[in-house]
Amino acid sequence: MASAMAMMASGANVLKPSQVTAQEATSNAGPPVKFGVIGCGYHGRDIVGTLAVLPNAPIVALCDYYGAFLRRTGRSAPEAKQYADYKDLLADEQVEAVVIATPSHQHKQIVIDALKAGKHVYCEAPLASSIEDARDIALAARNTPKAYFQAGLQFRSDPQRDFLVDYVRTGAWGQTVSARSQWHKKTSWKRAAPTNEREKEINWRLDSQLSTGLIGEIGIHQLDAKNWFLGMRPKAITGIGSTVLWKDGRSEPDTVQINLEYDKGIHAGFDITLCNSFDTDYEMYYGTDAALMVRGSQAWMFKEADAPMLGWEVYAKKDTFFKEVGIYLVANATKLTTVTGSGEDAAKDNPYKDTPLYYALEAFVHNAYVHQSGVEDFVAGFGDEDEDALREYLVELESSKKPAANYLHGYEANVVACKAHEAILGNKRIEIDDALFNLS
Amino acid sequence: MKKHAGMIGKWSVVTLLWATTLMAQAQSVSYKGMFRGSSMKVDGTSTVHDWTIESKLISGSLELTGDFPADLSVSEVPALSGTPKADVKISARSLKSGKPKMDQVMLGAMKADDHPWITYSLKSLTPSKAARQSGDALAYDSVGELSVSGVKKEIKMPVTFTPTDKGLKINGKVQIKMTDYGIDPPAPKIALGLITVGDELDLTFEWHTQKK
Repeated sequence: MASAMAMMASGANVLKPSQVTAQEATSNAGPPVKFGVIGCGYHGRDIVGTLAVLPNAPIVALCDYYGAFLRRTGRSAPEAKQYADYKDLLADEQVEAVVIATPSHQHKQIVIDALKAGKHVYCEAPLASSIEDARDIALAARNTPKAYFQAGLQFRSDPQRDFLVDYVRTGAWGQTVSARSQWHKKTSWKRAAPTNEREKEINWRLDSQLSTGLIGEIGIHQLDAKNWFLGMRPKAITGIGSTVLWKDGRSEPDTVQINLEYDKGIHAGFDITLCNSFDTDYEMYYGTDAALMVRGSQAWMFKEADAPMLGWEVYAKKDTFFKEVGIYLVANATKLTTVTGSGEDAAKDNPYKDTPLYYALEAFVHNAYVHQSGVEDFVAGFGDEDEDALREYLVELESSKKPAANYLHGYEANVVACKAHEAILGNKRIEIDDALFNLS
Repeated sequence: MKKHAGMIGKWSVVTLLWATTLMAQAQSVSYKGMFRGSSMKVDGTSTVHDWTIESKLISGSLELTGDFPADLSVSEVPALSGTPKADVKISARSLKSGKPKMDQVMLGAMKADDHPWITYSLKSLTPSKAARQSGDALAYDSVGELSVSGVKKEIKMPVTFTPTDKGLKINGKVQIKMTDYGIDPPAPKIALGLITVGDELDLTFEWHTQKK
């Protein structure tokens, strides 16, 4: 997501956490984890590009049944073996971890087989196109303690958002009032292909039978962020959708709005369109003392006139947004920090660095190693007969892992996305039984 | 004849003692390390703040002679007739601070890639001369070899044994120096040279075992 490109305010400096902390600047990457990437389409290529930026994520295998995609992605990872069948990749003992970036409706069996093969799994979000498949994936992850599973909800690994969650839970914005998000981009989402059959296949996102549409395929990250920041799950969703511009036979609307209802009378709105780019994407959270705006990996706080003084904001950097003054919220600002440049400059140097995907994959590499070494050490000392004890030890290791979305985060966000999709297609309000979020 | 009878009597006593010793050794009890409840903490200092790393994985085995007290009611901790054995190991990378970057620095200093295991081998247990009351844990002074970062050193350490439902709980604490084990106290570059770690470390462990 490149929300920073469309800042309303002119000349705003962009502070990215990785460039802010002195520690990050000279950090030592951990031990390597060897990767296989399954699904070499558009997003698969982003994943390969991002893994290539990480110093400890060698790509040893690629897989796609569509030869042209496989060959094209292979040029970015010339050392990697190429497989047409994912089962052959899973049989490759070189591969320690896999990223699954196939169409969402194809994830389930690949995830289950990968976990069975003992591979650590990063499954792109949404986990699946149906609640049933997402549940099966989450249960497979839960039932395979020796393998590390991460859902591709990238914001959970973003240092800025991780910092903000703790910050807002201190009550800095007062009592929560509401939330709002948007994702705007003028683009058809339609992809060209040499044959009609391939075109239908590659445009699965526009097919309501195969995908969860805009709200699931792109909106799931912001849906998850809402639940995470508010610390609640929605009780009901009202959705509407229409095809305004791209009337090319697609069954998915090109413009959607939803309203999520939470406890305590809190509502959250979310609109997504492929017909207008204004203001791109961001999340807003409103409290009785302040509003919080999160764009990409940056955030600002807008205080109410009658809000109590926090003290530090007097010295903080500020930006003007029309008639409002936004106070920068910088991750780890209380620690020794050095501002070395802007995120936009870094993005020009390497478009794959310091993105939400970058942080999510960086966390995956680290966490997969911590998990794997923990399992190896436990089994070397105590054997593997007592699975409950192993699970207890793996819980102990959580504090040594980097922030990341687990199978439960992935499942819960998937439930919300599927219900929102159902509401949008039916132009209706749907109540969500909280028991649906329960995996057991 | 009388002389012979006296000799036979002496030999009988010796044989009895020998047999008793053999029986005691034959009845030695073996224990193995348990995950639950076990922990080894390493407390250190630095120019910025004190720090702790901890492992929950203390594995290995312990073998005690049959005359090892079965409960805490003994008025005096007895000397052991045979040689106790214990071989314990802890994976260096299982020592965690909760801060991934600090773990990296620590593992680098310990040369953990080349020496992944911290090991301890018990050589002797001598009853502690410290005053004791019935119910106190059984206190011994231990001598053993601690191997860290590939360097083996003899260490003396007071330890206590407490019977549990499943076996024995062993507690101990000892101070060591990093430089004794060829470890340079880290001065991590990530802190712009502002942090220097102190040489002395306090090792504190609680090891839960169960009878094999």
